[in-house]
Amino acid sequence: MSEIASTIPVTVLTGFLGSGKTTLLNRILSENHGLRIAVIENEFGEIGVDNDLVIATEEEIFEMNNGCICCSVRGDLIRILGNLMKRRNRFDHIMIETTGMADPGPVVQTFFMDDEMRDAFHVDGVVTLVDAKHVSLHIDDGEEVKEQIAFADVILMNKSDLVSPQELNTLEDRIRSMNAAAKIHRTQDAAIAMEKVLDIGGFDLNRALEADPNFVDQLRRQHPHDANITSVGIMSPGDLDLELFQDWLLGLLDTKGEDIFRMKGVVAIHGQKERYVFQGVHMLFDGRADRPWRDGERSNSLVFIGRNLNREALMLGFNECLT
Amino acid sequence: MLDVDPSKLRKGLLSESWYVDLADYVIDLQWSPSAARLAAVSVEGAVFLIEDLGDSATFKMIGSHVGGANSVSWRRDGAKFATAGHDGLVKVWDGTSGTPIRSLEAGNAWVTKALYSPRCNVLATAAGRQLKLFSDDHKVIYDSPDHPSTIADIAWNPRGPGIAAAANRGVTLHLSAAGGEPRRFRWKGSSLVLKWSPDARHLATGRQDAALHYCSIATGKSAQISGYATKVQLLDWDAGGRYLATGGGSSIVLWDCGGDGPMGGQPTQLEARSGKLTQIAFQPDGPLLASTDADGFVFLWEPAKHDQAIGGVLLSSAASCLRWIHGKRLAIGQEDGTVVVFGVET
Repeated sequence: MSEIASTIPVTVLTGFLGSGKTTLLNRILSENHGLRIAVIENEFGEIGVDNDLVIATEEEIFEMNNGCICCSVRGDLIRILGNLMKRRNRFDHIMIETTGMADPGPVVQTFFMDDEMRDAFHVDGVVTLVDAKHVSLHIDDGEEVKEQIAFADVILMNKSDLVSPQELNTLEDRIRSMNAAAKIHRTQDAAIAMEKVLDIGGFDLNRALEADPNFVDQLRRQHPHDANITSVGIMSPGDLDLELFQDWLLGLLDTKGEDIFRMKGVVAIHGQKERYVFQGVHMLFDGRADRPWRDGERSNSLVFIGRNLNREALMLGFNECLT
Repeated sequence: MLDVDPSKLRKGLLSESWYVDLADYVIDLQWSPSAARLAAVSVEGAVFLIEDLGDSATFKMIGSHVGGANSVSWRRDGAKFATAGHDGLVKVWDGTSGTPIRSLEAGNAWVTKALYSPRCNVLATAAGRQLKLFSDDHKVIYDSPDHPSTIADIAWNPRGPGIAAAANRGVTLHLSAAGGEPRRFRWKGSSLVLKWSPDARHLATGRQDAALHYCSIATGKSAQISGYATKVQLLDWDAGGRYLATGGGSSIVLWDCGGDGPMGGQPTQLEARSGKLTQIAFQPDGPLLASTDADGFVFLWEPAKHDQAIGGVLLSSAASCLRWIHGKRLAIGQEDGTVVVFGVET
């Protein structure tokens, strides 16, 4: 995470079958961006563009400790990307397309937990496509769609031309209630400017929460839909005690890490003129001091995205860290 | 830069015999059994045959695999060698002329490894979850049931029948008894690399989840040793089977298996520099251990006697493969395409 500039960015593309992943991939590959892109896909597809490379793979999840999913990595990706790293004409960008049923967790964790992957690559972001017309039919069937939404940095509500504006608003509200930190775009035929999906810095601490500084406002609108997977945002003035705050976060990850898919935040530490930025994926945590606060800016914004989150307990825990 | 004390390094221990430039990342190379030649494959899939002329060498590119290559292996008499490709093929080549002999379909995936038996002329191939054995006239004589995941490594029993395959959640032993079912040794974690002890009584694997796994063939009992800083990708036994060298990160962790195996004892740590290790290999019939790191250093150790390196040299780039022959010569394939051979004074 610390040497983002020298490592190759990876975009993880998730979404249910038929949501438009292949259409988006084809658009990215045919766009005149000058990047050499390697695509790793889970399903055999019809994509083939000069100068790019498409490799099909079968998802192989390697459990690390205790069989816990939040410590799992994708063995197939380590093998394939390990080989790509050795090639002279390196790729500028890696796109990983997951199956509609895949849990994005192990894909993302691979780039934090495996030392070779961590040294050579960084996850730029998780882009999730949602079929605006059909998502409501299968969103409650299982955890996959919700997890893909929860993990996302960018969500494309695709096929937006096939539903009414009112239906779109309802869907967007529902998605927002699950993941308050993601950028949401409405698209037709997955048409979107490349910079909105290829350079998003979703795991870059320097850009933590840059996506939408007012995301917490959107959380004030409460939605009853998906009590299971939700976002909890905290926006509060005041200074935090660094030690208490770190103890609280690490304790939280230790006990609730499996349920917390993503978290990120920018907080004010007592006695420090720099912002403290952090982000986490399940039990993986990274935090450090950042640039100085600007005038009138100093405050705390945090967001937790996960399963069965207890808003009151999180608020209480946070408040206890205030000096 | 160099954390070792140069005055402790014996001068002339490693002397360069020759080098050639294959112009692509050397992903594997192997000596012919007579040491007259080396076969090498590059990451992009080129296959090379190198003639060792003593103090110089010539080489030719004899063919390629589409998409890339992974490994190379000689038949025990040096008459043929086989290369494993990303094209799902294993190609068999004439060991003297380099003429292609046959392409074998190993499976519908990258071929991780092609490996001739040390005891007969059977060729094993691992592609995806599938292990196949080919007879010397290139017929499939064994086609394994699918392994639990892509096979990461295979190794022939050095003393008796059978071949072991490492994958996720353990190792499968094939054909260890005539007509027998594959024998599964199950354990947690994904095994990346597999080595038999020279007496074939034990198997060691290095795991993705930063552990070494050690298993007795006779009893099936196994134990894991955790606490490595990174995944364990490097393993080698010394010729006598007493020392097991393992690597992940920057130090070689050396286990003395003289008593009841590595359990209970404290390992010796060998670390010359802070650079990440890329290869380790024991001298096949001597006390030396060679190691290479990501910054291009090569070190020689005599681990039974010293925990300090006794010889060292800096290459033009990091070593990607490291092969001894007859205990006297060391061939090193490099990331920048160089193949260099050193004589080792003993």
